[in-house]
Amino acid sequence: MKLKWKTVGSIFLTGVMLSTAMLSGCGSTDTTASGKTVIEIVQYKPEAVKAFETLEEKFNATHDDIQLVIDSPNDAMTILKTRFVREDYPDIIGIGGDINYSNFLDAEMLMDISDYEGLADIKESYLTIDKQLEFIPLDGVYAVPYMANAAGVLYNKDIFDKNGWKIPETLDEFYKLCEEIQSKGIQPLYFGFRDTWTCLAPWNAIAVDVADPNICAQVNAGLATFTEAYRPVAEITKSLLKYAQPDTFAYSYNDACTAFARGESAMYVIGSYAVPQIKSVNPDINIDSFVFPGSNHKEENVLNSGNDLQWSVMAGNENKKEAIYEVLNFLYEDENIQTYLDDQSAVPCKKGDFELPSMLDGMKPYIENDKMADYQDHHYPAEMSVDAMIQTLLVDESDTAVDTFLQRFDTEWARYNRDLIAKVQKFYEEHPEKLTEGGN
Amino acid sequence: MRGDRDRERTFLLITIPVVALFVCFNTLPLIKGFIYSFTNFKGYGSYEWVGLRNYIDLFSDARVGKSYWFTFKYALLGTILTNVISLIIAMGLNSKIKGKSVLRGIYFVPNVLGGLVVGYIFSFIFTYVLPVVGQSLGIEALSGSMLSSVSKAWIAIVIVGCWQAIAMNTIIYISGLQTVPEDIYEAGAIDGVTGWRKFKDLTFPLIIPFFGINMVLSMKNFLMVFDQIMALTKGGPSQSTESISYLIYNNGMSGGQFGFQSANAFLFFVVIVVISVVQMTVMNKKEEQL
Repeated sequence: MKLKWKTVGSIFLTGVMLSTAMLSGCGSTDTTASGKTVIEIVQYKPEAVKAFETLEEKFNATHDDIQLVIDSPNDAMTILKTRFVREDYPDIIGIGGDINYSNFLDAEMLMDISDYEGLADIKESYLTIDKQLEFIPLDGVYAVPYMANAAGVLYNKDIFDKNGWKIPETLDEFYKLCEEIQSKGIQPLYFGFRDTWTCLAPWNAIAVDVADPNICAQVNAGLATFTEAYRPVAEITKSLLKYAQPDTFAYSYNDACTAFARGESAMYVIGSYAVPQIKSVNPDINIDSFVFPGSNHKEENVLNSGNDLQWSVMAGNENKKEAIYEVLNFLYEDENIQTYLDDQSAVPCKKGDFELPSMLDGMKPYIENDKMADYQDHHYPAEMSVDAMIQTLLVDESDTAVDTFLQRFDTEWARYNRDLIAKVQKFYEEHPEKLTEGGN
Repeated sequence: MRGDRDRERTFLLITIPVVALFVCFNTLPLIKGFIYSFTNFKGYGSYEWVGLRNYIDLFSDARVGKSYWFTFKYALLGTILTNVISLIIAMGLNSKIKGKSVLRGIYFVPNVLGGLVVGYIFSFIFTYVLPVVGQSLGIEALSGSMLSSVSKAWIAIVIVGCWQAIAMNTIIYISGLQTVPEDIYEAGAIDGVTGWRKFKDLTFPLIIPFFGINMVLSMKNFLMVFDQIMALTKGGPSQSTESISYLIYNNGMSGGQFGFQSANAFLFFVVIVVISVVQMTVMNKKEEQL
């Protein structure tokens, strides 16, 4: 009798233990059996897995005391967030300089690495971009930019050369060019607006030219409104529709990449990250790019470039600092950066002479002169779905579309950032001197 | 006596592990989600208690309201269409026709295919095939992609949802139709009952339990629509096809609204329970016994 009840009990317990074991997963270990320090990196670009496998192997072959593990999972952000809930942290995370970075920073999860020597070799504008991502101005450095991407207009060089078209440098020139292309019976632009996120590509490229790069922080501090700052951005973005293919919202990002690759359109407003996909459809396509001329004043136009991949050290790793810096030094060695560049079309954040992918030729002067500004959407909370709001703006055919959109932007911003705005304004009340430093 | 108690124990032994697993993977997360619904938790990091703020916000958030409206009109139309069509198909497949089992197999295929796969195939049809057909036939409404039109995208999702849901419902109806004894039809035939009256007065009352099950199941499945949206529209165009589940997933997981969407999920859970209970009680009252 008793025995049977024990069986029942033990089955129940086994069930519970099994499920808890599944939930807790495997914890990370700090050292291997042979006494090596293990450094675990989780980076969020699965497409770069090959480059990182090569680097991981190379590192482990040359280092006896440190074992490097680089994970490049799909949907790494979700995986990271799930691990954070369980308080299971990797040592270094490789993420983009976007709202997630701001949030992790705000949750005090990252370590100050201002004493890392390699920071001196990083281009200023990329460090500034990270600084601007801080909700509340912090002392110290929390990320080392590694790779950047650039967005603007990709164009089919063969079509351009054949017709003798020139790269436009002002907004009016751009419109004129589009009309010229149209008159030749060629489709000027192709968009994949069914995938809402692609609506952000032209938006960002235009916003860096005509809106304050610090606008989000300004609004949080109560110093500005989007209704004022974003009106030109909204209007120019909407104006592009007349040069796009009919029934624009029926096509996805894949459709647009394929169409551009097949020469169905002369230009495509998207980031450099689309190039590998376009080339997979048509490896022989001759692509170059130029900066979107959102302003009619040539000198106001800047390249839309943001930190695509940057390294942050998780808090609480002070005792492993040396090993971690050793890993970072390795990643920033020139030839290792080149390994990554050869695999992915990216812009290195390190100063120096690297071989850039040829489709970035048109953007080179801006990169070399450090004339860049971050993607505005890196400051937008994901749950606000600004991409879908822009899609709504573009779909809306009424005369008041822009006004409706701008008004909605301000109200929703206030609603989705309620806690943050309260926090920021409280901070500035306590530290009014920081406000005069420009909001950031 | 002893035998009875042993039997009881065996049943307990079978039940307890299942209950334990159910509690671990269903009830505990539900309770945890309910607790989170009173916080401003982002999914990681620190959080604060905000009391009932999330629940109050739910009722003033236009996006949440829109998602409930979309989900309900979708579920209602979907449930009606699915049940009507699958009942017709089931009657056809239950009659004496050639190749019945092959046809039954074919009609069941949509249920085996994954929602995402079906979604991508239909997405291709809606984007490239249907507009061409519409243009060549000169039908204005079909000459653009249904998925890119704010007013028509939800209908496209209803079509795909139904296409997939009909398979399972048909099977349930077929098994229901087989429980109707032949002699009832014979008795009806003597009284001169044919056609529509035969269906209305004989067949339908006898398969009401199956109708009830199908209504509850398909209503619940349609209310939780997710895969089709993910594959077809991702909530677009203009957020016109955001279902409740899609919004919960999207803003709760990749967005930082874990707490708020937990509140939404809890509200949605209550709504589904209420609908199911109402449906069951209404159906039970109508049931006919032979």
